[in-house]
Amino acid sequence: MDDRTATIITYEQYFEEMPCYLSVHDRDFRIVDANRRVRADFGERIIGDLCYRVYKQREDVCENCPVEMTFTDGKSHSNEQLLLTRHGKQRHVLVHTTPFCCDEGGNIVSVMEMLTVIDEFKRLQNLLQRSQEHFAQLFEEVPCYISVQGPDLMIRGANRRFRETFGPAVGNYCYEVYKHREEPCLACAVQLTLEDGQCRTTEEVVTSAAGERINVLATTAPIFNSEGKPEAVMEMSADITEIRQLQSQLTSIGLLVGSISHGIKGLLTGLDGGIYLVNSGFTNDDRARIEKGWDMVQRNVDRIRSMVMDILYYAKDRELSLVDVNPAELFADLENGLQKKAGDIDTKLTIKVAPDAGTFAGDAMAVRAVLLNLVENSLDACRADRRKDQHFVRVNVGREPPFMTFDVEDNGIGMDRETREKIFSLFFTSKGIKGTGLGLFIANKIVGKHGGRIDVSSEPQRGSRFLVRFPLEARPSVPLVEEPAPPSQ
Amino acid sequence: MVDDDRDTALYLSVLLEDNGYEVRTAEDAVEALSRLEEFPADAVIMDVLMPGRSGLDLLVKLRNSPQWRDLMVIVVTGNDRVLEDYGKSYLSLHKGIRGPDAVLGKPVDPRALLRLLDT
Repeated sequence: MDDRTATIITYEQYFEEMPCYLSVHDRDFRIVDANRRVRADFGERIIGDLCYRVYKQREDVCENCPVEMTFTDGKSHSNEQLLLTRHGKQRHVLVHTTPFCCDEGGNIVSVMEMLTVIDEFKRLQNLLQRSQEHFAQLFEEVPCYISVQGPDLMIRGANRRFRETFGPAVGNYCYEVYKHREEPCLACAVQLTLEDGQCRTTEEVVTSAAGERINVLATTAPIFNSEGKPEAVMEMSADITEIRQLQSQLTSIGLLVGSISHGIKGLLTGLDGGIYLVNSGFTNDDRARIEKGWDMVQRNVDRIRSMVMDILYYAKDRELSLVDVNPAELFADLENGLQKKAGDIDTKLTIKVAPDAGTFAGDAMAVRAVLLNLVENSLDACRADRRKDQHFVRVNVGREPPFMTFDVEDNGIGMDRETREKIFSLFFTSKGIKGTGLGLFIANKIVGKHGGRIDVSSEPQRGSRFLVRFPLEARPSVPLVEEPAPPSQ
Repeated sequence: MVDDDRDTALYLSVLLEDNGYEVRTAEDAVEALSRLEEFPADAVIMDVLMPGRSGLDLLVKLRNSPQWRDLMVIVVTGNDRVLEDYGKSYLSLHKGIRGPDAVLGKPVDPRALLRLLDT
């Protein structure tokens, strides 16, 4: 055997044993040669058969046939094809073609085709694509707000919920979209995460595109580049508004229960006292004592009534029941009780209703509760003041269009600034056991709901003045029960 | 009897008088101290939450005074938590101050009060 023959035999062996499909095709797409792998999977008698029939069991030339392209332009071509073996198995292959043999005129006579099986690669590619789609779907549908910000704090991506709540976000700064700010937030978790690559969780209040305030628990997580440095940050925010509202309501209910039980204990002591005086008065035939005791019972029953009214106003979002309220009639009804209370504490109570005051549109029961509360507060303030010999409470009612004004002034103990600023807060009281911290909170809500307002001026030791304005024509604005202010006591 | 709630003060003072005690009432800590000057009391019954100086202020004042340090002090309160929380932190500021001899919750059980005074 000469060297040339030995070389040919060696190359034939290479051709035969190549770990891929190798075949040679003529211009008519007939297979002129094929290696062992081709024969094993596509048949021993394929030489001379049409390649599209052998490889794909079809009756016409494939589209984008790389063999045809190589015959046409004399260049190598490659693409992906799906083959069908004689055993009916599909095979994804990467096809490479190259001119193989030319005639004397330089025309391509045959083309070699190498087909590498890429089933595993294809499977992984499909898996990757599916998992990408899966994660994209998760990102889109996860029930919280997700955004991705770059180092410039510009939003690069946002999920569906984010877009629905905050509007088109990509390309805008996160602080603009989330908080309607013009500059980055002071303590920016995104920037901190970009700096040190650590996750952070903060609670924030953000504002939706519609202007709704939303409490969120925001967590930031770094997105690292190939060098392991944070190049962007994913911010995931869960809406906890309902939880916060519920928590606030629960806190309020807890405080309300505490406040009421505290108040009731005081009232029970008063009732116990009254009953004791009445009983012992009967036993000793002491009429003065019976009267004192009965007064005490009545006073404490009044206090219970007023407390129950406050609780009812607090507990239920009542609609105003508007009627023509006549302040003169209202005070005619209240004055006896108030004068008695003023007399007990040596305080001069004067109530003046301007003759032309007329009527205004209001909820009679609610207005009565407000005025009773204010005048009783003034009387309490006088009683608590021991520095002056003479005390007064003056109530002036007048018609000052567009308002009906109630001016309640006293020279009682007065309030410092802190007390003055807190008096309308829920559960704030400066009266120790006698206060529930509901009265002025409710009064303020009632006046607000009528579209009116209460202005307060006060100085410690000098006295206080409450100026209440009810619109003559009601223009209800604020709901009677709003989200309670944070506890201030 | 120190309480800014006049009903409570009247009730308890009448109750005690009916049981043979002599009683003076005061509405706050300042008045209580001036009453004590003129009336040699054996016991002080007081509320905790009052305008101005609180009942605990009065307690510290009494305990620090050579004249009144051994007086029986009975605290009457409707708010147990105020006494617990505020009382503890307040008294911890005044180390060594002996707390009240007894604490009664409102509404006051008259028998419990009389029993305490009888001891």
